[in-house]
Amino acid sequence: MCIRSYKFFLLFFLITSCEKDDICLEGSANTNRITIGFINSENQDTTGISLKNIKGLNKDSIIHTNISAAKLKLPLNISSNTTDYILNFNQIDDTLSIRYRAIHEYLNRGCGFISNFIIDKSSENLNNLEGWIKEVSIAKDSIFNEEKTNLYIHF
Amino acid sequence: MKRKQIYIFIFSLFTINFIVGQEIENKKSDSTIVKKKLINIDKLSIGIDLYNPIYSSINDDDLSYELITSLRILEDFSIASEIGSLDRYIEDENINFTSTGEYIKFGFDYNLFNNWVGMDNSIYLGMRFATSSFNNKIDSYTLRNPDSYWSNNVTSDYETINHSDQNANWIELLVGIKVETIKNIYLGINLRLNRLLSNTSPNNFNNLYIPGFNKVTDDNSWGSGFNYTLTYSLPLKFNKKTSIK
Repeated sequence: MCIRSYKFFLLFFLITSCEKDDICLEGSANTNRITIGFINSENQDTTGISLKNIKGLNKDSIIHTNISAAKLKLPLNISSNTTDYILNFNQIDDTLSIRYRAIHEYLNRGCGFISNFIIDKSSENLNNLEGWIKEVSIAKDSIFNEEKTNLYIHF
Repeated sequence: MKRKQIYIFIFSLFTINFIVGQEIENKKSDSTIVKKKLINIDKLSIGIDLYNPIYSSINDDDLSYELITSLRILEDFSIASEIGSLDRYIEDENINFTSTGEYIKFGFDYNLFNNWVGMDNSIYLGMRFATSSFNNKIDSYTLRNPDSYWSNNVTSDYETINHSDQNANWIELLVGIKVETIKNIYLGINLRLNRLLSNTSPNNFNNLYIPGFNKVTDDNSWGSGFNYTLTYSLPLKFNKKTSIK
């Protein structure tokens, strides 16, 4: 009779020890950055740009320095509804303020939550008058991937 | 002696099967000891689980406890139940949450161990049906984000929600031992293999932990658990014991 209980013990350890580890698989959905394009206000064409540096407002560390690109990908603050960046172009600082709604989406135990964003259309631009940014326009307000340009800076 | 045979006679009126079994039993063993009856409620055990209260007090959670009762209705067979309440702060990989709730388990134990006369230990197999009503409150989490320029820790708002009124049902298979350490006081351990039958899924979260069931893994309805038990057993038939002696 006791042999049966040994078998049960064996089965128990077999099943519990083979418990799948909850690893977040590579290629799982992830939190995306905002994609920013640039439009030259003289001819209304999308162009590349060279920025001296980019950093978050009230932050010491710099996100990008000496970057020349057609598109810029910037991380949004996931636990706030505003992210302010200071963009330095030709030694002139300007503030780009993005208002949005962060929606945290549950994936699974291993991956936890990711964040999607909906950019708020009502408050799209907050720049000082002295700056180089003339206008900001929103092309795509939802950020669920990094393929499409969400926002254009007119300069 | 005569009285016992009268008992046997009375029981034999209830079931025909039993008469046959009883006769064989008598022929085999010494006819002076007649033990078996159809239903013989002779012992009530009440006890507690030792692990959960200690764990919860070490970790500054509210007191978690589990009350265990079992009623022996046959020589090797008891009906058993556990009622428990649990409060546990769980630090998972990405999500920290507090699981609170109550659960009830009901089923039976079957003893496989043949005791010597005067001993009352057991190695048993059991089965339970269990149900739990609970809340899972997300306290904080780290968001999955390849970029960490801004903090990815969320400690308030967003999904730090109390997911209340959750329900789950499962069955348990268990194996355990129970040893009489002092007279009528037993220490034991049992291991449980749980199979989830149903589980509510809250909005934008999963129940990663169910009180009574323990950890729930993704895409897997199996779980496991264990108990350290301390039980006191109350003999219900004093007369019978003395008459055997």
